[in-house]
Amino acid sequence: MNEQALIADVKNGSLDAFNTLVLHYQDSVFNVALRILGDEEQAADASQETFISAFKSIAAFRGGSFKAWLMRSVTNACYDELRRQKRQPTIPLEPDADDGDEVESPRWLVDPNTTPAQQAEAAEVEHAIQHCLDALPLEFKTVVVMADIQGMDYAEVAIAIRAPLGTVKSRLARARLRLRECLQGFAELLPASYRLISDAALRSSK
Amino acid sequence: MNCFMNQRDLELLSAYLDQQITPSDAARLEARLEFDKELAATLGDLRAVRTVLRQLPKRRAPRNFTLTRNMVGLNPPLPRVYLIFRFATVVATLLFFFTFGMNMMTSRSMQLSAAAAPAPYAAQEAVVTDESMPAFAPGLTNPELSSLPDEANPVPTEEVVAAKLRETGDERSMTSLTSSTWQMAFALVAVLCGAVMAILRRIASNRWK
Repeated sequence: MNEQALIADVKNGSLDAFNTLVLHYQDSVFNVALRILGDEEQAADASQETFISAFKSIAAFRGGSFKAWLMRSVTNACYDELRRQKRQPTIPLEPDADDGDEVESPRWLVDPNTTPAQQAEAAEVEHAIQHCLDALPLEFKTVVVMADIQGMDYAEVAIAIRAPLGTVKSRLARARLRLRECLQGFAELLPASYRLISDAALRSSK
Repeated sequence: MNCFMNQRDLELLSAYLDQQITPSDAARLEARLEFDKELAATLGDLRAVRTVLRQLPKRRAPRNFTLTRNMVGLNPPLPRVYLIFRFATVVATLLFFFTFGMNMMTSRSMQLSAAAAPAPYAAQEAVVTDESMPAFAPGLTNPELSSLPDEANPVPTEEVVAAKLRETGDERSMTSLTSSTWQMAFALVAVLCGAVMAILRRIASNRWK
């Protein structure tokens, strides 16, 4: 895929060229939105909004990393959604458990291609990580989602959040520290190879 | 992790993990990591956190987010002649309303003048009817006769008044007929141009699809 040629075509009004870019980046955009918002439906809406606004404002793209530019759009869409939620809080549509409580991580959304045990384990780990991500301040969460989950480099993250490189480094370090503290509470859920070193050291010293 | 670990060391470790520090800083940090076990444990923790996050399953987008023309409000490219028709429609519409307004104002002013005009004619008519009075009124005095019209100022007869009224009415009807014709012409041009625009738009849309 020749990204620059496609972008040039999009600037000339080609919707087909833009849709080629959409197909290439839609999973990344959706995953960022999903981890920031923590809700699949809202993430899908934010992703759609991102692509619409990206197409409309493609003239403002002055070159550089298109992915970073797109990530800035999705971050803005997520922030807008979170602000909207603050103004108009909604009740989540989640199934009730037998005791009438809401199930926070519904099993009926899990990929059916894995065994039930794997599904349960993966869902619990994912839920634990999402819980810890949600506990982070928004600016920390955005950086850690882009750098650690999406694997973007610092420069791209800096462009995406419109912040200096030093801010990215600082936020990422502090986010990782907070996540480490949070994940210690879910140590049993994490695969043995990913258990925290200091936690293992603490256990061996007991 | 050491609670007293300073922010600088934390950032250094985090950036070292991502190979985002200079080689000299990396060398210094590696030297410290050799003997500072707590620093090494913290580095291990940060690495584990990063690994856990990277292991997070990547979800596929639940649907394609490709855009349609309607979603982004894109319109089919229209031929250049479309602009001419649009301009003509706008001008014809404006002229239609202008002539309509002018016609309204003209007919209103004519109505006002017509309402004002019959009064002197009525007065004159009254005088004309009084003209025959002296013949049938022998007791009429001279001063009374002096008020009658003389030869120099002939009083308009009924025929003259009727002719004048007919003339005014003709003028009025002629004016209104002319302006109505213009109004119809402008309306026709506007409607025709609008229809041509709609056809051009339909053709362009079909071609685009």
